[in-house]
Amino acid sequence: MASGGLATPATTAPAARPSPEPRRRGLGPSPWTALAYIAPAFVVYAVFLLYPLGRAVHLSLFDWDGLTPATFVGLGNYVDVVADDQLRAAFGHALVLIVFFALLPTAIGIVLAAVLNRAKVRGLAFFRMIVFLPQVVAMVVVGVAWRRIYAPDGSLNDVLAAVGLGALGRAWLGDPVLALPAVGIVGTWVQTGLATVLLMAGMSRIPGELYEACRLDGAGPVREFFAITLPAVRAELAVALTLTAVAALRTFDLIYITTGGGPGNRTSVPAFEVFNRAFRLGEVGSAAAIGVTLTVIIFVINLGVARIGERGGR
Amino acid sequence: MISATERTANYAVLLVFTLFALWPIGTVLGAALGPDDAGGVGGLANFAAAWEQGRFGPSMLTSVAVSGFVVVVAGVLSVLAGYAFGTMRVPGAPVLFPLFLLGLMVPGEVIVVPLYFDLRTFGLTNTFWAIALPQVAQSVAFGTFWMRAYFRSQPASLIEAGRLDGAGTWRILWRILVPPARPAIVTMVVLTYLWTWNEFLIPLVMATDQALRTAPLGLAFFQGQYTSGFTLLAAGAVIVAAPVLIVYLFLQRHFIRGMLEGAVRE
Amino acid sequence: MARPTRFRASVVAALVGALALLSAACTPGSENAAAPPPTDRAVQTDVAALGPVTLTVWDQEVRGGQNEQMEQLNAAFHQRYPNVTIERVSRSFDDLATTLRLAISGNDAPDVVQANNGRADMGAFVAAGQLLPLRPWAQAYGWDERYPASVRQYVSYTPDGKVFGEGEVYGLPQVGEVVGIYYNPAELQRLGIAVPSTWEEFEAALAAGRAAGAVPMQLGNLESWPALHVLGTVQDQLVPAEQVTDLAFGRDGASWTTPENTQAAQKIAEWARAGYFNDGVNGVDNDQAWQAFARGESPFLIGGTWLAPDLAAAMGPNVRFMPPPPPAGRPVSATGGTGLPFSITTGSDAPDAAAAYLDFITSPDAMRVLTETGNLPVAGTAQQQPPAGLSQDVFAAFAAVADGGQLLPYLDYATPTMADTMGAALQDLLAGQQTPEQFLATVQADYTAFVDQNG
Repeated sequence: MASGGLATPATTAPAARPSPEPRRRGLGPSPWTALAYIAPAFVVYAVFLLYPLGRAVHLSLFDWDGLTPATFVGLGNYVDVVADDQLRAAFGHALVLIVFFALLPTAIGIVLAAVLNRAKVRGLAFFRMIVFLPQVVAMVVVGVAWRRIYAPDGSLNDVLAAVGLGALGRAWLGDPVLALPAVGIVGTWVQTGLATVLLMAGMSRIPGELYEACRLDGAGPVREFFAITLPAVRAELAVALTLTAVAALRTFDLIYITTGGGPGNRTSVPAFEVFNRAFRLGEVGSAAAIGVTLTVIIFVINLGVARIGERGGR
Repeated sequence: MISATERTANYAVLLVFTLFALWPIGTVLGAALGPDDAGGVGGLANFAAAWEQGRFGPSMLTSVAVSGFVVVVAGVLSVLAGYAFGTMRVPGAPVLFPLFLLGLMVPGEVIVVPLYFDLRTFGLTNTFWAIALPQVAQSVAFGTFWMRAYFRSQPASLIEAGRLDGAGTWRILWRILVPPARPAIVTMVVLTYLWTWNEFLIPLVMATDQALRTAPLGLAFFQGQYTSGFTLLAAGAVIVAAPVLIVYLFLQRHFIRGMLEGAVRE
Repeated sequence: MARPTRFRASVVAALVGALALLSAACTPGSENAAAPPPTDRAVQTDVAALGPVTLTVWDQEVRGGQNEQMEQLNAAFHQRYPNVTIERVSRSFDDLATTLRLAISGNDAPDVVQANNGRADMGAFVAAGQLLPLRPWAQAYGWDERYPASVRQYVSYTPDGKVFGEGEVYGLPQVGEVVGIYYNPAELQRLGIAVPSTWEEFEAALAAGRAAGAVPMQLGNLESWPALHVLGTVQDQLVPAEQVTDLAFGRDGASWTTPENTQAAQKIAEWARAGYFNDGVNGVDNDQAWQAFARGESPFLIGGTWLAPDLAAAMGPNVRFMPPPPPAGRPVSATGGTGLPFSITTGSDAPDAAAAYLDFITSPDAMRVLTETGNLPVAGTAQQQPPAGLSQDVFAAFAAVADGGQLLPYLDYATPTMADTMGAALQDLLAGQQTPEQFLATVQADYTAFVDQNG
């Protein structure tokens, strides 16, 4: 998941407002100097990212097994993305994952952050470190750990049995209904820390006087939350949602390690289909078309959420 | 103003989420330190056994080499490009800069497919470069963006002063701007290192040679290969996660503060 | 705040321009359009004359006894021919399937690979000219005498990859395989069940085990292929042998939606419904299942002979193996054939050394090593003296099926996508998410699509 994953939080703020200082009053270095500084980065970037992106669009117009010469099929692969049941299902699963990767962690994060912000409890720094921990563990390791937890003799079933709910125990990753949510919960585990820490930061910047004024009006914690806290962190909310939703759409390692798309394709997601089709089934064009579609969706989400964040923001 | 009940409830919430966050990590650590799969004592010996059987030695070395290369090269390129975008008038900047931003949104899955087949045509798959350079490109997209934001936030007077002293753009960058930029650069380096170390898809696709196997890949194959229990697999998982976790434990302030500053700075 | 994405018309224009340039570029894959490799060439069987050679070999022999034989044979080969160094890369069956296509077409391809017989792997590689036909070396080394035609058909394709089971030989298997029934005599005795000798008795034994509160069979189907072997085992008892063979080889004219196949699918669904398998089969991986069986959690386990070394090591004398007992009046029938064959890649820069390696690891001496390490050699099985215990059962079962009965091919051989399609559909069938009819329709659709296009 190189840069993309965590990248955007940073993207957001620093670029946000043009510096108030008038800069470069005409006597700066020459344009060629500026370009020379950019060139090395741009060359690597263009060769290994921009060009492949264009090539992906190109490949998506062909029916190709990756070995023998290809056949031009126009937009046929894109028609499949819409028409093929299995592919549609994969995109549907990605939507479900967004609930678990993005909505749930953000919801938990905002409540958690609000509570912590109000309570001023001790040990906050420690808590922040722990809750952020899942973000830095390799997905492969995360997958290995959760596969164990979800196993029939794993600790989830042990916990259920310990609280008298042993009857609910099962092989979670093999359950036709619950496998996808089970994978989703792993996403919740990974992303909650990010959302919480982001939102805590947003809330810490709300001036205390606002709360005092609100309290003087006799507002309780709930009204205080809706009247002051929530509007103030609108922007952080947008960032948290974007980051986590994109992470949901890009879920590949986790599926590869835990379920391989099963049972019965019920956890197959677009990013996994891209890999499976391109490198195992020999359907390179279809894989490229899914990849391009995925990119467009991520693009639209970024734009859309950015809008929400801006509106009424500041 | 906060009642004792509320305080207790707050700590309870904290505790629940701490446990939730630590559960999988504890599961793996516990198993890795537990008895081995044949029922023997295990303990720390599990790590040695996993290291040996999972061939983590060579794969950790590969991971170190790839991460080191990506962090250094992407870091330097990003500082240079961010400097130009942040402090100079760049011709075509309204097109060029958004092009870099595009890279933040492109999922690795979409570029890895054409990259594999194109590199194959040129005989470049199964090389160190095929694993490292695409990740440099991804990291440069972020790094350029990040460093530009930093350089823009610096007062223009700093650069003016340097220029009045007769310093060229190169000297201004390395002598005046970079030294105080250390926190921003450390954050960038830590994030790049984290992403590169944990990357799975690119090394999976780009190199099938055993000698070029990275640590996460080694763990994934070990999971398939090691069929007689969980202990050694857990030990392998700890081995693979450790290099990032250790850096995180030492630099976490840098890390979280940096990320938050990134999100907060306006 | 979050607005890194202000794009201007100029950016879009630049991108569109770049794309236009690309579309004008050539058709993907045309650079690979080489003629298929020739079927005759001069071969060199004097390995010492080849000078220093490094052979990269990809195998999936990761389990106990399999790994052991590979290590022994590789060491012996290097001792015989010190000028040849073997660089062994071994990974699990699943991981090999995932990465072999990447490796074989990449530059610096391995010299020798273990490619699954079916159309997804060997068939696709043959069609793309990635594997060398072995005829020249077969003549030099006399491989046709080593392998009977019944074995050779599993590694034969026409050079265009369209017909499976005929044409050139593209790989040499080391081991034979038969999917049968492992049983735990002590557990059967505890449950008061006799070892079944007919299919009817086997089903009765399952029912009796269930009635006694046991889980009659272990199945770990997280990987989705293990259930294919269960279906094959059932199908072989209910469907005429020629039909199964046609379906597995992806031949035109066969169909999945026959009454017999429907009966087989219904049987699987029925077993799952009746609780004959452990709970959550799709969430348990294959290794966990045999480990559970080894711990005595079930009297039966349907599985291939490749599990024998692991099970023998874990259970000692407490495990036996038999071919599926046939219904009254039918010959013994089981799924199986050869283990994954070893092939030489077109990209190999030392095909003669690779061929010598293939010859070495499938030689009569190698077959003896295979036997000693608890494996089932594919050739000259009858001449081997298997070690006492489970191995003897395995050898007897293979002989019974291969010589006196019907050894029927794996079902996923049929089409390039069949392993995925059938694997997923079977998971659904087992979980009660698809009816037997839906399952068959899904599989039939994959089958027809391939047969139509393959011509």
